[in-house]
Amino acid sequence: MIPASGPRPLGDEPAERAAIPNVIVAIEAILRQPRRVIFQLRQPGAGRLIAAMVFVSVVCSLIYGVVAGTFSGGTQLWAAPVKIAVGLMISALICLPSLYIFTCLGGSQARLIEVGGLLAGLLMLMTILLIGFAPVAWIFSQSTESLAWMGTLHLIFWFIATCFGLRFLEAGFSHSNAKSLAGFRTWVVIFMLVALQMTTALRPILGTSETFLPTEKKFFLSHWSDCLKSSDSESKSRSRD
Amino acid sequence: MCALDELNPREISVLLRGESEKIAAWTGQWSARRFALQVVVIVVGAGLYGAAMGWWRDPQQALYVAVKFPLIILLTTAGTALLNAMLAPLLGLNIPFRQSFSAILMSFVIAAAILGAFSPLLAFMVWNTPPISAAAASAPAYNFIKLTHVAVIAFAGITGNARLFQLLTQLGGGRTGARRVLFAWLAGNLFLGSQLSWILRPFIGSPSLPVEFFRATALHGNFYENVFHSLLQIFQQFD
Repeated sequence: MIPASGPRPLGDEPAERAAIPNVIVAIEAILRQPRRVIFQLRQPGAGRLIAAMVFVSVVCSLIYGVVAGTFSGGTQLWAAPVKIAVGLMISALICLPSLYIFTCLGGSQARLIEVGGLLAGLLMLMTILLIGFAPVAWIFSQSTESLAWMGTLHLIFWFIATCFGLRFLEAGFSHSNAKSLAGFRTWVVIFMLVALQMTTALRPILGTSETFLPTEKKFFLSHWSDCLKSSDSESKSRSRD
Repeated sequence: MCALDELNPREISVLLRGESEKIAAWTGQWSARRFALQVVVIVVGAGLYGAAMGWWRDPQQALYVAVKFPLIILLTTAGTALLNAMLAPLLGLNIPFRQSFSAILMSFVIAAAILGAFSPLLAFMVWNTPPISAAAASAPAYNFIKLTHVAVIAFAGITGNARLFQLLTQLGGGRTGARRVLFAWLAGNLFLGSQLSWILRPFIGSPSLPVEFFRATALHGNFYENVFHSLLQIFQQFD
């Protein structure tokens, strides 16, 4: 439940009311003044800000995708960024309607465009944090041979980035007169599951394959289990050499 | 006048004493001169310590480690700079990129200065130790030297981070915010630093292996994978 007193009202500081004119200011604002972004999403003409945030998300996920693609190189240098960016956008689109429904059920007064804006904010914060992780991921990509290990590392980075993104989303909803966050928390589980399944539906993202998309349908847990088994048998055969 | 001519070594004692107010003011304004001084302290301090570490194996190994030790510090600082700058405001400390980078660099400067100060002691200890050999690798002397390195590096690291914590508190994070930011930065730096150390191994050098800058397997596998396999092997022995 949200406390009855509620959070401090948005826009009570002049800095929060300052417009966000471009993508650089949007990036700065989501890191340092998330309340400013939430306030601006409630103003007329928020569409431009949402478009800017989606644009940053796409560019950042493409850059992170190139870093992920360096693990295998070759065609993965373009396939991984395309799959990561497309996968992220499709996951967000698939989850947007349910997010809106859950927030309405929780008593929120947020409009659909506002909910879409908060989701775009989640994506932007998540992907710029992934850019922060990119140098670390690149170092490991160059020195690690295990696909399972690299996959785990990227999942850890994605999980940390998503947690910060979800924190922004929750802060946004706490300002929308929502009486309960139970629906929102249910949606978080759904979003996580969709994003994880997307990594399997668009595989391979890290490894290589003859086809751009998989020919066999799999649940992500079964895909991970297969990857771990093949990695284990590879390391056993290496240790016998 | 060249920037290096204007270096003021007294600034290092201010860092070591942890005069947070002065240090916080330094982080607020960019100074090429101060940055150059800090890089020089890291290169010299960590380099001297690295030389003392590698000297036991071979003078050539001493030279290699003198280059590699500062390199790890500088690459770790650069590699996590962006991430650390993003994490600070998200965890409650609203400081710009320049200030977070500067704060972390200063904590490494303190650690490097401590390492540099301990390097003559380490060199003296190595000088008094029988030469490293395949037989000596399992002898008490080898273990003693290893443990001494662990103790000195841990002391330098803990002191650097204690000063960093004071600085973060001064910069406005409060004790809770400063602790959160410090642990997040530590996690990132340790995570990348361990892997960079793994890539740039050897440091003390094994007597049964040749002296070299990188091992041939430098880019095969990673630190954490290796730890995981070592743990697996230990548990398999009990099966």
